[in-house]
Amino acid sequence: MSVIRTDFEGDRGALFLLALKTGALTLLTAGIYRFWAKTRLRRWYWSAVRPGGAPMEYTGTPLEKLSGFLFAIIVLAILLAATNFSAIMTSVNLLDEMPAVFTTIVAIIPLLTAPFFFYARYRARRYILARTHWRGIRFGMEPGAIGYAIRACFLMALTVLTGGLLWPLMTFRLERFLTDRTWYGNARFTQHGGFARLYGPLLPFLVTFWGGIALIGYFLAQIVTMENGVPQLPEYVSSRTETWPLWTGILSILLSVLCAFYYKVAAIGILASGKTLGDGIEFDLYPRTRRILKIYFFGFHKTWIASGLVQSAVAGLIFGALWLGGGFSQEAIQAMILNPPVNVAIVSSVLTFLLLRLVFGVFWHTFITYPLIAHLAETAEIHNPELLNGIRQRDADRRMDAGGFAEALDTGAAF
Amino acid sequence: MSDAAIRNEAFASKLALTYAEFFDGVSPLRQRVSIRVNGDALELKNVETHAEHRWPLSTIRTLSDQASTEAMTFAPDDVNPARLIVREVGAMRAILNTDAPLRPLTGRRGGFVRLGVMATLAAACFGGLLFGLIPWFAETAAARIPQEAEVLLGQQQYGLTYGRQRQCSSPDGDAALRTMAARLTENADLHVPLTLRVVDLPHVNATALPGGQVTIWSGLLTAAERPEEVAAVLAHEIGHVAHRDPTRAQIRVMGSYGMIGLLFADTFGTATAAMVGQALDASYTRSAEADADAYSHQLLIEAGVSPDALGSLFARMEQQYGPSPDGLASLLSTHPAHADRIAASRDAAARADIGAGTPILSDVEWAALRGICTAAPAADGEGKG
Ligand SMILES: [Zn+2]
Repeated sequence: MSVIRTDFEGDRGALFLLALKTGALTLLTAGIYRFWAKTRLRRWYWSAVRPGGAPMEYTGTPLEKLSGFLFAIIVLAILLAATNFSAIMTSVNLLDEMPAVFTTIVAIIPLLTAPFFFYARYRARRYILARTHWRGIRFGMEPGAIGYAIRACFLMALTVLTGGLLWPLMTFRLERFLTDRTWYGNARFTQHGGFARLYGPLLPFLVTFWGGIALIGYFLAQIVTMENGVPQLPEYVSSRTETWPLWTGILSILLSVLCAFYYKVAAIGILASGKTLGDGIEFDLYPRTRRILKIYFFGFHKTWIASGLVQSAVAGLIFGALWLGGGFSQEAIQAMILNPPVNVAIVSSVLTFLLLRLVFGVFWHTFITYPLIAHLAETAEIHNPELLNGIRQRDADRRMDAGGFAEALDTGAAF
Repeated sequence: MSDAAIRNEAFASKLALTYAEFFDGVSPLRQRVSIRVNGDALELKNVETHAEHRWPLSTIRTLSDQASTEAMTFAPDDVNPARLIVREVGAMRAILNTDAPLRPLTGRRGGFVRLGVMATLAAACFGGLLFGLIPWFAETAAARIPQEAEVLLGQQQYGLTYGRQRQCSSPDGDAALRTMAARLTENADLHVPLTLRVVDLPHVNATALPGGQVTIWSGLLTAAERPEEVAAVLAHEIGHVAHRDPTRAQIRVMGSYGMIGLLFADTFGTATAAMVGQALDASYTRSAEADADAYSHQLLIEAGVSPDALGSLFARMEQQYGPSPDGLASLLSTHPAHADRIAASRDAAARADIGAGTPILSDVEWAALRGICTAAPAADGEGKG
């Protein structure tokens, strides 16, 4: 059985410059350029990922993103107004004064917020796939955002209600929903396997999370007294009370966040190995939790340092300009640094805010997104690639909102 | 053809041709092609099947923002998914040395119409909501809100705005304030009773919140030279209460919550959104301010006080702090320029023709009001208004 691997080929310095240039233009155009910036950065990342030596290609355009964003904010503005109106009417007892139909409509809309988030995610994924090419063949995704949103809400509720016990069910079912609707040319992806395999990597989370809850519960059981069937916290805790269950419990719950991260990374690999494309092309992905944590840690560290430098640079620039150009004495400048006048404070904080935003974006791309994608790409394997040759092109999928909802809602997608 | 002939042909073409990787946009099969510029077209020939493709030089596109500099990718035009990946320097040179324009691939054109439609719709939608539906809703709701709900709303707002400020109170000061308000509201028809408070804040200011909650900042009491100047400001705030402006404004803010943020979601975040929101707010309230001033002139005249008092206070403040902002900055300011308000109050005074008027407080009462933040607190701290 033959295997093709994926290269990641791209110069970090070039990415840094591209992110800096597009980020600066975004600031200078009051945000309009962000659709161009996003397009150009996606083009760059896609072309850096080369399964079997052939680069991926991103074909989305800035104009369609801008149109999609405008469409999305129209819909969202109307939903938001209705949500606000319903909140006002309930909070100020206006309900009796308004027509009943109006009241019911505005009362239902806030319930749509959570599904909308998932709806937006599905649409964004569909858009990205429809604009991804490899070896001259388009990827694609079937419509299904509403079904996805309903399932996601239901499974999310199950997961929360069971304290994470059914988390693998949610992970697996949602991934299968997405995978089974994804195409490469005229070949369809299929998600095999079941959710049981995900319990292995979830075990550390379940142990630390429920262990922590149990420890805190044990601690509370020691100190809480019942009065007329109502639990009461004591005024003070006696020195004889054992406090170790409290702090180990809290520690354990903090640790469970790390375990949840491990689960999510491990699940990516397990789910990838259960996917097939067409007549039997198989995949493997071996993301390492430690490697990814390292990337985040050092990426944040560098971003942190750069942000500090930006803040001092802005302050230095402003007070330097005031000193050299404004004819203020050194003492006056010193007084100003300690207690800045309102206009100086506003200018420097706005400037700092904008520059921080820029630096944060640039560093995030260079030191987090870049190594993350490189890591994922380099651990990817495609088995039986000769079967690719039987695949044929699919039609272009043009009519969509170009990820506008995800953009407007800022759903936290990586790109 | 004999084997030798094939070998010769292959050898000859190797000398003249360069090679590249080709994907035909129909199948993901990797094809090796020879490339040759022939007249106004690029000829691609599969080295195994000898199938040929002709790409007119004028429509060939290059892919921009590519991560690798070791290969160049070309497309026959903006829509065809076929791709040519060139790694050999000779092959790159062969293409780059032609007079092909080699524009960057931009994808399907014609998005401008859709963009224009969307931009128009978005402008109409936001305009309709921010300047039509939301103000209408605020207007309707402010007129119908039950009195208890309005008072509750005002108390919440008071807590948010002044919760951390020291509230000033003294028996004589409170009584003086009550006297002043009673003189002013004698003929006023208010839908809620007034709740008057003085807070210890150094700026010259006063505010009206929903449910008749009027708050005077101690800075106003210090800056005023006579009680009529305080009365003029108080009358202005009573004007807001009578017109339900604070309730309307509050409902408008709640109704448009998050809407400006949608436009700036990713880039500027709260800073820009807040500034645009402030400008929007200012555009709503400037006419309400003029109305409140007109109402206050009426109240003052009926109480026998010359509306000129507002003018004299503002004129003195302008001398001290410089003129109020105009031009761009005035777009962000919720109140009309001081100069206009001074002129309006002098006009009203001239028309009413009541001269200096009657003092609204006695000297003793005035002293008690001015000292309200320094005097001993009243036994009953809530007993005002
Ligand atoms: Zn006002």
